[in-house]
Amino acid sequence: AMEGRCAVETWTEFGFLGTSTTPKVRFGTDVFICTGNDEVYVFSTHERKLKASNCFSVKDDLPLCCVSFSLNMTFHSCRAQSSSPDSSSIPAELKISEFLVIEADGVSSLLLVGTVLLTLSQRDSSWLMTLYKTPEQTESSSYEVLGSFSLPLVSAVVQADTESKTSVLICLHCGDTAPLTLPHGHFCLEPVLFKLLFGVEAALAKSPVILCGLPDGRLCFLPLRLPGARLRVLHSIEQPVVFVGASVVTETGPGHSQCLVAMGEQGRVVLIKTEKGRSEDGSSLAGFTEGIVSGPVQCGCLDRNCLYYSTGSDLLLLDLSEGSSGKESKERVEETSRKTLQSPTSLNVSRVVALAEPTSNTSVQLLGLSVRGQLQRISLPARRKDAGLSKLPSAQVGRSIRDLLSAIGDVCERSSVLKTAIKSKNQILRHLNQVVNISFLLTATNNTEDDPAIKEKPIRCHAMTSWSRLLQKDCLNLTCVLDNSSPFVLERGWTLSVTVFPLCCSSTAGEEISSANFSFPFQNLNSGETLEVLLPIAAAGDSSFPMTVNCSLIFSLSSLLGEQEAASSNISLPLNTLTVDWLNALQLNSPTARHKMVTFQPGSITTDPIQAFISSRQIRCSGRADRGAESGSRPEKYSASVRVSSELLKDSLVLKNSNLDPKISLSSLTVHACGPNGATVKLTAKKVGIVFSDELEVQVESSSMTAVCGLHHAVLSRIQVQTHTHTVRLNTIFREVQQNQISGALGVGMTAGQMNPGLLSVYQELRQNPLLII
Amino acid sequence: MSHKMSQPPSLLNKWIQENNELVNKWKQQEKGRDTVRQDHNQPHLKWCSYEFHKLLGIIQGIPPNSDYTQLELAVVYNAGVCATAQAQFSEAELFLTQAAERVLQVTGGETGASDPLVCWRAVLKSVENTHLHPSVLYLVCLQWAIWLATCQLKTIQEFQEEMPSLFETLCGGVGDGAISEARSKSSNIPLMVMDPRRLIELLQICTSIALGAERLTEGQSSEALTGLQAASSLPAPRALVGYTHLLSGSCLTHMRRPQMALQCYRKALETDSRCVCALYQSMLIYRQLGNTQAEIQALRLLHSTLMLPSATDPALASTHLLSPSSLLCSQSLSSLLSVPSALSVLHSLALKCLLCGRVSEGVEHYLDLLAVLHSEDQQGLHTQDATIPRLPELYLEAGAALLMARRPADCLALCSEVISTTLELLPEKVVLEEPEERREAETRDTEGENRVAMVLWTAAAYLLQGHCHSHLKDWKQAVTHYTRCINLLVKVRLKKRDFQPQFSSADMDVQRGKDLCVLQKLKGLSLAGRGISFTQTDKLKEALRDLQLSLQAFPECVGAGLWCGEVLWRLSRRREAAACWEKTWSLTTQSLVENLPVYLQEPQSGPLLDSAELRHRIQELGPT
Repeated sequence: AMEGRCAVETWTEFGFLGTSTTPKVRFGTDVFICTGNDEVYVFSTHERKLKASNCFSVKDDLPLCCVSFSLNMTFHSCRAQSSSPDSSSIPAELKISEFLVIEADGVSSLLLVGTVLLTLSQRDSSWLMTLYKTPEQTESSSYEVLGSFSLPLVSAVVQADTESKTSVLICLHCGDTAPLTLPHGHFCLEPVLFKLLFGVEAALAKSPVILCGLPDGRLCFLPLRLPGARLRVLHSIEQPVVFVGASVVTETGPGHSQCLVAMGEQGRVVLIKTEKGRSEDGSSLAGFTEGIVSGPVQCGCLDRNCLYYSTGSDLLLLDLSEGSSGKESKERVEETSRKTLQSPTSLNVSRVVALAEPTSNTSVQLLGLSVRGQLQRISLPARRKDAGLSKLPSAQVGRSIRDLLSAIGDVCERSSVLKTAIKSKNQILRHLNQVVNISFLLTATNNTEDDPAIKEKPIRCHAMTSWSRLLQKDCLNLTCVLDNSSPFVLERGWTLSVTVFPLCCSSTAGEEISSANFSFPFQNLNSGETLEVLLPIAAAGDSSFPMTVNCSLIFSLSSLLGEQEAASSNISLPLNTLTVDWLNALQLNSPTARHKMVTFQPGSITTDPIQAFISSRQIRCSGRADRGAESGSRPEKYSASVRVSSELLKDSLVLKNSNLDPKISLSSLTVHACGPNGATVKLTAKKVGIVFSDELEVQVESSSMTAVCGLHHAVLSRIQVQTHTHTVRLNTIFREVQQNQISGALGVGMTAGQMNPGLLSVYQELRQNPLLII
Repeated sequence: MSHKMSQPPSLLNKWIQENNELVNKWKQQEKGRDTVRQDHNQPHLKWCSYEFHKLLGIIQGIPPNSDYTQLELAVVYNAGVCATAQAQFSEAELFLTQAAERVLQVTGGETGASDPLVCWRAVLKSVENTHLHPSVLYLVCLQWAIWLATCQLKTIQEFQEEMPSLFETLCGGVGDGAISEARSKSSNIPLMVMDPRRLIELLQICTSIALGAERLTEGQSSEALTGLQAASSLPAPRALVGYTHLLSGSCLTHMRRPQMALQCYRKALETDSRCVCALYQSMLIYRQLGNTQAEIQALRLLHSTLMLPSATDPALASTHLLSPSSLLCSQSLSSLLSVPSALSVLHSLALKCLLCGRVSEGVEHYLDLLAVLHSEDQQGLHTQDATIPRLPELYLEAGAALLMARRPADCLALCSEVISTTLELLPEKVVLEEPEERREAETRDTEGENRVAMVLWTAAAYLLQGHCHSHLKDWKQAVTHYTRCINLLVKVRLKKRDFQPQFSSADMDVQRGKDLCVLQKLKGLSLAGRGISFTQTDKLKEALRDLQLSLQAFPECVGAGLWCGEVLWRLSRRREAAACWEKTWSLTTQSLVENLPVYLQEPQSGPLLDSAELRHRIQELGPT
């Protein structure tokens, strides 16, 4: 039925976005807005300007829980004043000095009826409505209590989750007994409905009736001026009452509201109307029509026959009149004894948190307050049937263009909000794509385990150790370098996690393992970039070597999706494992000894059991021999030795990219060093050369058994790994040879001249890397 | 003091000073705020209580030590009084038991008694003849106050019986020594937040009052009387002494000695002029004695006293921390002291005036009552007492009063107000259920409007309007209104078939079948009224039919009986007429239904027949 769009005209902006409490608003000729802190604004709708701000403030000595209440309080006392006749020019509320009129806890709403101030508050086991007499002179320090009425709570459960919610209080007058001008929150109800709902006594006493909507969904009423009256329940909508009001609904009649409307937070609407001749004895009854619209309802207001409500994302209109369609199908309606609501119409105005009933008679206009603190006038388009009857005059056309433009502005605003939302979601998707790619990359290389040396992970760590002196104490630091050689970027959200634990302990699971975990979140690591982190792994005197260093990458989804979305969903991707052994931890005794040593790279623990057996036998034999020969006179009590080819030794102990002092290699035969447990050790390498000319014996000597064992193990394990890599290299050479032969046989793409140098190099490589340990 | 400031004061002096500062601060606050009501002292009281508690915690942080015990007991007293004043009785009792334990630890007495009486006995024994004795006695007083405030009267009685000597010590000038001592060297003695002597005085009279009320409720009037009369000579605030007289009066009423009771009530009023309850009770006695003039006088006084602004103030406004009202909270006492609201008293007054013939006075009171109901001023409306009739009935009573005062126009206006309120809601038919069933369902605030009541109110309003028109001799209008009344009444159907529609009000249980009784009376009166109106317009046939129907519905209707005879006489059925008159005269000696509303009485204002003239006619007719 609606044509065109709503025109939204922003009058002023308060800019209190972000306050946790919903603002309290009282509409009228002066709009009072309380932002939830200690400020109250007064806006004149006639002059369309802010008349006053911060004219009231909460006293400092009030307890915090009463702040909103006491503000509301001043609010009402000044409303009472502004209605006095001599306050036309200067806003009366400015003249009001602050004072505390009532001191009460837990007041959820209040209402002024004549000279009586009503408060509704929640006590431990009941709702309490208290009546205060407002004094004639505002100088009085406190209001006199006239009486109070209580209503038991439904249950303790309801009490718990309705604590923060507010209630709704309105005042209903019976038909012709109502005062001429009704203040905010007062309605004039059609007499028959009034009597049906609240009794003839209330009507006879010409008593206004207070209707309150409670957070537990009950609608309660109290005839104000009836002796012996009690607070009674009228109806329950079983969800927190957001709005209660009265509407005329039909055009006939002297303007008395014929329909009482209550609306719940989850969208339940109840219309209370008189139904004539519905009961079996032919008298009138109060009819309750219930319906559900989609919530959540934030606020609502009524005009002559429509209910307007805001869900936050949209403003909707619900036509309450039975209308033409309703009259046609009257018979059908009566068959289906329960009447249904019409479906609501969207008005395309978003983020309205407070609404006021129309102020103009000519066209439907609403006053709204947006969540961003904008006070808006929302002009509704005229109904189609009215628009069709008369042509619009030019002035109105101009205005409707203006309305359309401002409607476009409103739509633009909404669309820009949506755009930013889409953009951020795209960003997240792109980010997630990178994460998934990286995960696949790292887990795929994990699965092809057969050639770990060749198929190294494109993202891996290598590390160097160094001794440093801190606070008179030597300690061993590990410089771990994360190398991203993958084509992907490691973006925000990734964390490098390094776990260090002793190797020997890791096998005995039961004991407490002194493992340390370090995590380094980083922002962006592009393809080809490295990230270097430094972490302490041991102090001097600590001899729990060798140590295993596990590196992994962790991605937390919560950083991407926000805290609440993904509480514990982290992706953890293991990278590689490094070993820090005794050789890495040696401190050379030369003045240039504090240098870096390079840990050996992949999977150093995977040793051949046979070789392990051989090496262990060796330690035993030599150890015993030495002890027998020199009994305790020399400091190097224990020794162990390994025989290797010099080539292998060079490869294994001294790697090319190390800046290790060349003394330790072949040129210098003896190295004195200090182990991490403080024991001095001697490493000697001497030529033995029986079978092969370049055969060397590497001997480890120390007074500490631990040191000898540790170093011997380190040397052996390195040699073993080296031989392992040699065999792998041999395999490749073989493959190359084979390939050359095949290609040669087929004669494809390779001449004899090209082939021969290839074969030659393979051959030479085979010769230069003799397989040898003992 | 200057030499003291130079050297650091000892811990004891520091604590005493802290305590005294708190007490002085409280007393200043109390002085400054004595005009303001009690509840405004609450935040300050809360603060004081918290501070005393804190100080006590510090003092009790060290092991019990005889040097500090006197100070500690004083702080316990102060903290306990503050807690009791805030109705935190369990907290206060905890202070007391802790203090008792610590005293026993100092004096080496036997600890571990769970029963408070045993415990206190042990404590008192252990401190006998020491300087701690008075301090411990104050704590016993506080314990007593807590028992009283929590209505543990049995324990108090036991306590009085078990330790008579102690009770006497307490009631005698205990603490005098301590006080004079305090005056001599003020800074070294811990001050008390409430003078213990005042507390003891208060406790004695309040205990007597509470015990008296309890015994009276249990029916032991003479025991109660003895105690109360003894208590009336105790030194106490006026209001409390007034209570002793008032309760003595109630005892005497129970003992069927109304004149002595009246004397007691008078004494109560003389002692405390705001003792409205004494006025109310006197009024009840006058009503019982049938002294209507005195009853009306008492009602008038009661109403004007209730309308005084001071009447809303609590009668027991306290100047002390512990108010008498907090010590007198037993159910039996509050029911003995309850007084109906001013509105209800005004209604009783108006009705009484009307019933005893002081019509113009009654009308004034009814008009006052309606004015109060319609005033913007909410004063006195918000009471939960339901002793005044429902609003339409009040209107009808006022209307009847106006008619009696020969103000038919005003009566018409009131009635039309009632009719306009109910008219749109009247059902097409309504069922009057069996009395037994109805009684269970009947409460003042049943869900929805009581349809039967609504029909009856409207019918009564039409009836009164008919009376008004017949008073104005507008017979046509009278017939119209009586007819409207009758038409409404026939909508009421009786549910129980075998229920006797024709009945005699004498054997009718009024309370049970009140609606039925009202219905029958309304039928009788409206038919009679219409019949009489027809008589005036010489429609004798219709008149006879209505009058006979009226007598069928309500045989005791005097007007109907007499006018029926008159119509018969005019129809020349003279013998029948004479029989009818004779029968009617014989009926009038029977008692009328007292509980029926005043607007259902037969009109005194319509056309009347002179009985003497009728008798003369019968005589002329001669014997058959």
